[in-house]
Formats: sequence, C-alpha cells, structure tokens
Amino acid sequence: MRTQLCFLAIVALIFGFGIVTVRAEDQPQFSEEVELCLSCHNDPSLEMELPGGTISVNVDPKIFRNSVHGEKLNCTDCHTNITDYPHPENHFKNRRELNLALYESCKRCHFDNYTKTLEGIHYHLLAKGDSRAPTCVDCHGSHEISKPDQPKSKISQTCKRCHEQVYQTYIKSVHGKALVNGGNIDVPVCVDCHQAHDIEDPRTNSFLLRTPQLCGQCHSDKILMKKYGLSTQVVETYLQDFHGVSTTFHRTEGKATNRWKAVCTDCHGVHDIAAVKDENSPVLKANLVATCRKCHPDATTDFPDAWLSHYEPSPSKAASVYYVKLFYKFFIPFTIGGLVLHILLHIWRIATNR
Amino acid sequence: MGKQFQDSTELNSPAAAITRQQEFVRFSRMLIGEHWAVMVLFALLVITGIPQRYSETAWAQFLIRCLGGIDIARSIHRLSGILFAALAVWHLVRVLHGVLFRNRSPYMIPTSKDFRDAIGTLRYYLRLSEDQPKFDRYDFRQKFEYFGLLMGGMVMIATGFLLYAPIFFTKFLPAFLIPVAKMAHGYEAMLALSVILIWHLYGAHLNPDVFPIDKSIFTGKISRERMEKEHALELERIEFAESLKDKEIIV
Repeated sequence: MRTQLCFLAIVALIFGFGIVTVRAEDQPQFSEEVELCLSCHNDPSLEMELPGGTISVNVDPKIFRNSVHGEKLNCTDCHTNITDYPHPENHFKNRRELNLALYESCKRCHFDNYTKTLEGIHYHLLAKGDSRAPTCVDCHGSHEISKPDQPKSKISQTCKRCHEQVYQTYIKSVHGKALVNGGNIDVPVCVDCHQAHDIEDPRTNSFLLRTPQLCGQCHSDKILMKKYGLSTQVVETYLQDFHGVSTTFHRTEGKATNRWKAVCTDCHGVHDIAAVKDENSPVLKANLVATCRKCHPDATTDFPDAWLSHYEPSPSKAASVYYVKLFYKFFIPFTIGGLVLHILLHIWRIATNR
Repeated sequence: MGKQFQDSTELNSPAAAITRQQEFVRFSRMLIGEHWAVMVLFALLVITGIPQRYSETAWAQFLIRCLGGIDIARSIHRLSGILFAALAVWHLVRVLHGVLFRNRSPYMIPTSKDFRDAIGTLRYYLRLSEDQPKFDRYDFRQKFEYFGLLMGGMVMIATGFLLYAPIFFTKFLPAFLIPVAKMAHGYEAMLALSVILIWHLYGAHLNPDVFPIDKSIFTGKISRERMEKEHALELERIEFAESLKDKEIIV
C-alpha cells in the first residue's frame, strides 16, 4: 500500500494541474495544496493503522468544500505537522490520541476561544487525564465544520451527544419545549447559561451564586419579557429579599459558604424549569410549601405567605407591607424635616441674638 | 433616673453648698453605663445592619467583607440585637421598680408643660418672644429623643426577632407579618439612624451651647452655668432642698 501511495503522490505532483482540470466537472475546486492531499485522501478506502485499530483517513472533498473552512484553509493550516510525503511517523495509539494532539490546531486563528477553553471544565478534565472530555473538534466537527448555532437547536443537539440525561430533562422544561417544539430562539440553550468555551463547573459556589444574574440576562430584559407577559421585577425583588441579600454578599465575598441560601434554581428547578402556572411548577401556590420545606422542614402550611412571590408591595398585593412602607415614606421626611427645621431655627436665633 | 440630685447632696458637703455649688452630678453610674451600652450596641447594629439593606452597593459589600463576611456580620447583628433587647428590658424593669417600690420620680414622663415649652421655644426662635422657657431635669427635646429611642427600639426588637426566627414565629403568628416586619425593620432603622445623625449629633456635639461635645453623659457632671441656662427649674429644686436641709426644718 505504501508503494501505491508513493506512486500516486508522484503522479499527483507531476500531473497535478491535469487532474484538477479533468475532475472539474464533478469535483469542487481547491487550491493546489488541497488538491495534492486529496489526490490520496479522496480515496474512501484510505486507512491508517494504529495500535488501537485501523482508522479511516479519507476526506470527502464535497463535505470539506461545504464546511465554513472549505474556501479558506489548506490542509496543512490545521495539520501543521504534515508538510510532505511520506508523512512523518506518528506514535498515536488510537484516533482519540490523534484528536487530542490536534487540540492546538484551532488556536492559530481562534485564539480567543481557545484561551477560553483553557478555563473551562472540559479542558480541566482533559488536563486531569480524562480523555473523554471534548476538544474543539468534538463539538464543532473537523472537515465538516459548519456554524454551530444554525439553527439554534443544533447547540443542544451537540451537548446532548454526551449530556443525554440533561437534554432529556431540558426538552421537557418550559425553555426546552419552546425550542424543540416551537423553534423559539428566544429561549436559552445550553451555552446561554453555561457558556460555550469557558464552561464553568456548574456545581461550584461561584457559578451558583451568579444564578440571579444569569437568569436576569433574560428575565430583566423588558422587551423580551413583555413578549411573554412575564414580570421583570423577579430579579430585583429576589435580590432585595433575605435570600437575595445573602447571595449577593456570598458572591462578593468570593469564598466558600456552607450556609447556602436559595437562588432562582433552588425554587424553580434547573434544567426542568416549568412555567410558573404549570401544575407541576414547584413555585405554584399549591406546591410552594413543599418547595420551602426543602430547606425549612419545619415550615407551616401558612409559611409561604412570608414570601411576596416576586411582587412589589401594592394596595392589591401585600397591602399591609405596602401601607407600612407608605407610612414611613411620609413619617420619616416629616420627622426629620421637623428636627432639621428646629435646628436651623436654633442656629438662626443664636446667630441673630446680638 | 430619679436619684441623681440626691447623689449630689451626698457628694457635696453642706459647706460647699453654702458657697454655691459650681458642679452638679447629673447622671449616676447606672445611667452612664446604660448610655455606653446603648451607644455601642446601636453602632454595632448600624454597621452590621445598614449594609444588609443596601446589599447591591459597593460600599456595603466592602463593609461586609471587612467584617469577615455576611455570616459573621449577621451573627454580630443578632447578638447585638439580643443584648439591645435585654438592655431595654433591664432599663424598663429598673425604672418601673424605682417608681413603684422606691418612690422615685420619673422625670422623663412628658407633661403638658413640655408642649407649652415646645411652643414657647418656637416663639423664642421666631423672635415672637424674648424669653426662653425654663426647663426641669429634661427639656422637651431630650424627652422626645428618649421616647423616640424607646418606641423605635420596641419596633426594632419586635420586628428583629420576627426576622431572626421566621419559621418559629409563623407557627403561631400569621406569615404575612414577616415581610411587614422586614419593611418596618428597614425603614425604622433608617429613621433611627437619621435621628441620631441629625438630631443627636446636633444636640450633643454641634449645638453651639455644648460644642464640641457634651461630656456630661460620660463624666456624669454638669456645670452650674449650664444648670442655670438649661435646667433652671431643676437647679431651683435642688437648692431649695439644700436650703431645707441646712435649716433643718422640723415642722
């Protein structure tokens, strides 16, 4: 086989131009270099022997041509170690090792995203020796790379390949249903909450404590929320309440806490978030006490009334709280105003006494 | 509250009284101690409490970080609150006991004279009158501040305990009281802080009569000059009692 390859390469070198013109009818056009590589790698039966098994090294010119890089890159832009034929010896045990060795290839152009991945959970796992953790090509593909978010639901499909269970939960949630059934692109997909490249371990305090800001990206967007008749006060009312105050301080303290206070997802759920009017919603009035009891096992059935359900107090919602607020809104300026007036009169009298 | 001028008679010999006493004991050690306690606790409660109201601001977050985090700040706040409540109970029990069983006079009780004094002072300030009302041991401003602290303290203690243990209190109280307590606790705190920063700061420090600081609550002493000016009626009372004592009137 090696002699065959050698022969083909020499033929390709000599008759390169001729091949291109001959094939122009049915094959896409590439640069001389790509054509040179394809002269061998176009062969669907082309294989490479590795200790872990035989792998195909065929590249379908049509697929590559249709990829985002088809018109832009030469083979050696990514396969930087291969400059000539015969190719240098490699010591990869299997396809995965070969993939991992190419981790740096994308960096030359996509330095920004490459750097971000170094901070992500996937790279962290990889560095610890878990070779299952995905690299660029595992999510984006290699020769067939297309825009990762066209359509938006493709992102969830990509993550699903490894995170199947989460995906199954997600598609039943209010967000997932809208995406999968309705093609709604307003809803968040995986990367909107978890990021695409600098994916943080979602079990860490620092990630969880940013939950209000995370949900707030959409849920305090007035235009977006109006579209669905949702309140934008949810974040602000949460942050003003006891749980929110705790979360804000714990977040800015930047140290671990074992005195956990509820964030959005503790009451509403994470991947299984339901519409608040859904009969299974953990924050529906009928279900709320059970939700409170997750952290407050002694809570009475009346206890959920201690929470204003994200409403700003008004004469119709939480009237007693509203009137206490109203009382102080008048009483404080009245008292302080009177005291200040008294002080000013005193000073004036002293100043004009002589 | 009612035994101070008696202390002064014990402290000053009859001879000194005859040569017109120049300094009077205004506050007993007990009152000095109570003022220290309420001052320290109030400061601790403000420092650990107000940032919780403004959790989203950088200064509040900085302050809480300096205190060692929100958990520590809350522990300090709750401990101070419990001590503040204990101080209030102690003070009220002590005063009630003095009035009921030891025949002391509570000079802090507002009377109709205080309302006349307030109007009289206002008339004086507005130059409608050239005479200032004469005051007894406490003037109407001091009584106002005392009762402000007492009533405000009650609100803070009651709402504070509700917020401390909402699960416990809602076992026998309606749960809607929790957000009510939270609203009241925050606003009442702002009112109390404003009164202290504006009224007390002026009355005890910036007021030209006492500037830079009225030390009598710390030393327990007050000069004759200030007694004549600020507590003329009390001075008369003390000196009348002195004169009775000197002459040893037996009928």
